[in-house]
Amino acid sequence: MLPLSLLKTAQGHPMLVELKNGETYNGHLVNCDTWMNIHLREVICTSKDGDRFWRMPECYIRGNTIKYLRVPDEVIDKVQEDTKSRSDRKPPGVGRGRGRGRDEGPAGRQGKGIGRGVDDGAAKGGGRGRGGPAGKPSGSKGMNYQPSVYLTCWPQVV
Amino acid sequence: MAPPLFVGDVTLPLQFLDRKQSRTQSHAMLFFSYFKDLVGREVTVELKNDLAIRGTLISVDQYLNIKLENTRAVDQDNFPHMLSVRNCFIRGSVVRYVQLPPEGVDVDLLHDATRREARGG
Amino acid sequence: MSCIYDFSILSTTSLSCIRVSEMSAGTLESLVGQTISVITNDGRIIVGVLRGFDQATNIILDESHERVYSTKIGVQQLVLGLYIIRGDNISVVGEVDEELDASLDLEKLKAHPLKPVVH
Repeated sequence: MLPLSLLKTAQGHPMLVELKNGETYNGHLVNCDTWMNIHLREVICTSKDGDRFWRMPECYIRGNTIKYLRVPDEVIDKVQEDTKSRSDRKPPGVGRGRGRGRDEGPAGRQGKGIGRGVDDGAAKGGGRGRGGPAGKPSGSKGMNYQPSVYLTCWPQVV
Repeated sequence: MAPPLFVGDVTLPLQFLDRKQSRTQSHAMLFFSYFKDLVGREVTVELKNDLAIRGTLISVDQYLNIKLENTRAVDQDNFPHMLSVRNCFIRGSVVRYVQLPPEGVDVDLLHDATRREARGG
Repeated sequence: MSCIYDFSILSTTSLSCIRVSEMSAGTLESLVGQTISVITNDGRIIVGVLRGFDQATNIILDESHERVYSTKIGVQQLVLGLYIIRGDNISVVGEVDEELDASLDLEKLKAHPLKPVVH
């Protein structure tokens, strides 16, 4: 079973996401994609030290900032494995052989994976992204800096 | 005679790689093939969290992920965290050093392979 | 003057690039369904049953619990449940020898927590 299949199956379920910076996000999964980018609704964000909380109607988390996801136990029983689309689900960037694929062009960084709908979440907010509530502006990473969380409205302090 | 193209150039569809990528790939391949030749030997892998694990090298892959068997922490008193683990998979990205058996190093061969690569790059 | 490194690479990779990229996957395949102990980059140790993984070493851990080491009290076990752990946050995946594990007296085992990985 592929981790991303499990994640996809968890759509609509509550989950907890811990980011590498220690923040945790509790919310219901709306959608996800092959990069593990995820779109959550009805979210409560907890700071690294666990003493500050924010509520937000939705947020969009960049996959590569995730440390782990905690999913309800019953979700694993709901995963239906279809091996036929297995090749579509391979995470991007693995296997240099990509370019030789039958119908995947070399420009296929986007892949034709699951969960394109996720993009809508961030787009609704006019595409603007702000760092997470406690997000340090770690701009020192230069050009490679990417926000870990995109919001469509200001979070509300709880 | 021109030096033979290194493997990175031979096997990868070059049109999808820029020059820099193909070079880093071929470097990785040198170490990859080097480690493949060490399979079956006893090595010590020191991780970037200071944990050092000793065991028999079972396999290695293109990311230099390492599989060891009959593992034990080198300093079991301070690192009892893996006492019940006898074989393990180590992610290549967290390896700081691999201590090799002296007999597993053929200096001349490595020199030669490295020079080839420098020329080909 | 032949170099064995060149030959060994040619023999495996020229068959297919995909073969090579799937070798990494092959290494965890043997652990599916087994109890494993995962050391994460932030120094946590999570024990659970491996249900799946992918090429990026993302893994599914079922019935998992965290083992918290400290020098003051023995190992504390926290129930976690079903986890997806992202590959780039994983340091080591170890196969737990159930017999050895049962013989450990975790409540008396004291140690410093593992340090986080510093790249």
